[in-house]
Amino acid sequence: MILDTFEALAMVAAIFAILILGTTHLRTNLSFYSLHTMAIAAVTAWIASITHEDHLYLVAAGVFIIKSCSIPWFLNSVIKKINVGTDGGAFIAAPLSMHLGALMLGLSFMISQQIPGLIGEADSRLGSTAAMSILFSGVLLMLTRRAAISQIVGFLVIENGIYLFAVTQTHGMPLMIEMGLLLEVLVAVMVAGLLLFNIKKSFEHIDVSQLTELKD
Amino acid sequence: MTSINTDAILETLVFIAIFLLLPPLLVGIIRKTKARFQNRIGAPLLQPYFDLLKLLSKGETISKHTSWIFRSTAAINVSLLIILAFLAPWTSLRPFNLGADLFLVIYLLALTRFFTVLSALDAGSAFGGFGASREVTLALLVEPAVILCLAAIGSVSQTSDLGVAFSFNNIALANQPGLWFIAGCGLFLASLVELSRMPADDPTTHLELTMVHEAMILENSAANLALVEYAHFLKILILLGISSQCLLHAIPFFWHTTELILVFSSLVSIMILAASIAIIESVAVKLRWTKLPEFIAYSVAMSIFCVFIALSKNLN
Repeated sequence: MILDTFEALAMVAAIFAILILGTTHLRTNLSFYSLHTMAIAAVTAWIASITHEDHLYLVAAGVFIIKSCSIPWFLNSVIKKINVGTDGGAFIAAPLSMHLGALMLGLSFMISQQIPGLIGEADSRLGSTAAMSILFSGVLLMLTRRAAISQIVGFLVIENGIYLFAVTQTHGMPLMIEMGLLLEVLVAVMVAGLLLFNIKKSFEHIDVSQLTELKD
Repeated sequence: MTSINTDAILETLVFIAIFLLLPPLLVGIIRKTKARFQNRIGAPLLQPYFDLLKLLSKGETISKHTSWIFRSTAAINVSLLIILAFLAPWTSLRPFNLGADLFLVIYLLALTRFFTVLSALDAGSAFGGFGASREVTLALLVEPAVILCLAAIGSVSQTSDLGVAFSFNNIALANQPGLWFIAGCGLFLASLVELSRMPADDPTTHLELTMVHEAMILENSAANLALVEYAHFLKILILLGISSQCLLHAIPFFWHTTELILVFSSLVSIMILAASIAIIESVAVKLRWTKLPEFIAYSVAMSIFCVFIALSKNLN
């Protein structure tokens, strides 16, 4: 089996998403997230060159600028301001959840064998494997981490997974929709970041497992 | 006929010269790079050779509580590692085709660790005891990563002979840069732990609370210590060599090039990996003991990816 380049890049993105699961150090998480999104932008550009859909180049540029540069930079500055270095504690230990993520990669390979996927001339089933495994990693991240900032990263990873699935299975959505989605993600992260400040100010921690307790 | 024979003899002599003389140079490279990173000039590149020579001429002190195990361990380890140097595919120059089964290679490595641990326990000092216990714990965590990486490569090439799998003419492995690259990264991370380098153990300190490898060889002196050190240097050469071979196989250029370039670039890539160990040691900190499994998990995860790639290859 000879990998097509976009499949190899999609797998690189999936592997970076799984590596995010491996550490509770928030800075490292964000830099892995940035690399992961860069790989996704590269996948988009590569698919654009295969299918000759020129608007995908613009989407790739948007993903690169907004998702892999601005959002990690913004979240990094939030981390610096609220002075939280590491996730307080995961419900599943970080190494264990990384291995779970790796097993999920195998599971999504089995699921994606059921999908008849073709993009241009190339078989896109490895692309959908990568997309599903990214989705699973994001879900694991949101389920097992306590710090609110990890929840944001988990949300972003899930969003990337859905986006990658759409891009590898179809020829990408229309430009307006993609741009709207990018803007929406940016706004969501901004709002969540501002919310983090307020949570930190009123509770003095960002542990989501304790947010259910009522305070007077 | 005679020309083939002289070629073979020359190749053998070069091979033996490389694996006897290169290991201390690697350590010299690591120390020099670290020194340059700390804005020091540092000891000369050949300092490890001088150290070994000096140790050989010193008088030996042996605790009277030790048995024959302690005295023979260093010699056993050096001879085991010399056997490994002939077997393992750490360079593309292999004059002897001895049939290096991957499990033989892995468990010969484990055997050297076994003897090191035995001698540390034999000396009966408290440091030897806890160094040994730490070493065994780390080995337990790292071993699955090494086995799975090599086994994935073996299963794609349909043989457990590493000499065949690493020979640059196996068609099954020719178009698998992902597998080779991930296996190389996993093996490199695992060998950082196996060689007691920085994230696992700081080789330059002698602080009792943190040391792993140094704690086990505290009781050795003079010629015995020289042999122990030399065995450790050889281990660095072999492990770095295997991971650098994996990384070289990932680059398509090396599949269509001449023997001479291959040998040269495999030696250079080992030195580059040694320098990158030094860079990692300069920018990273030693991890707390309880944090180490998280670091090793990365290398295990890489090996699981290798297994998946091998599986998907074998299913199709």
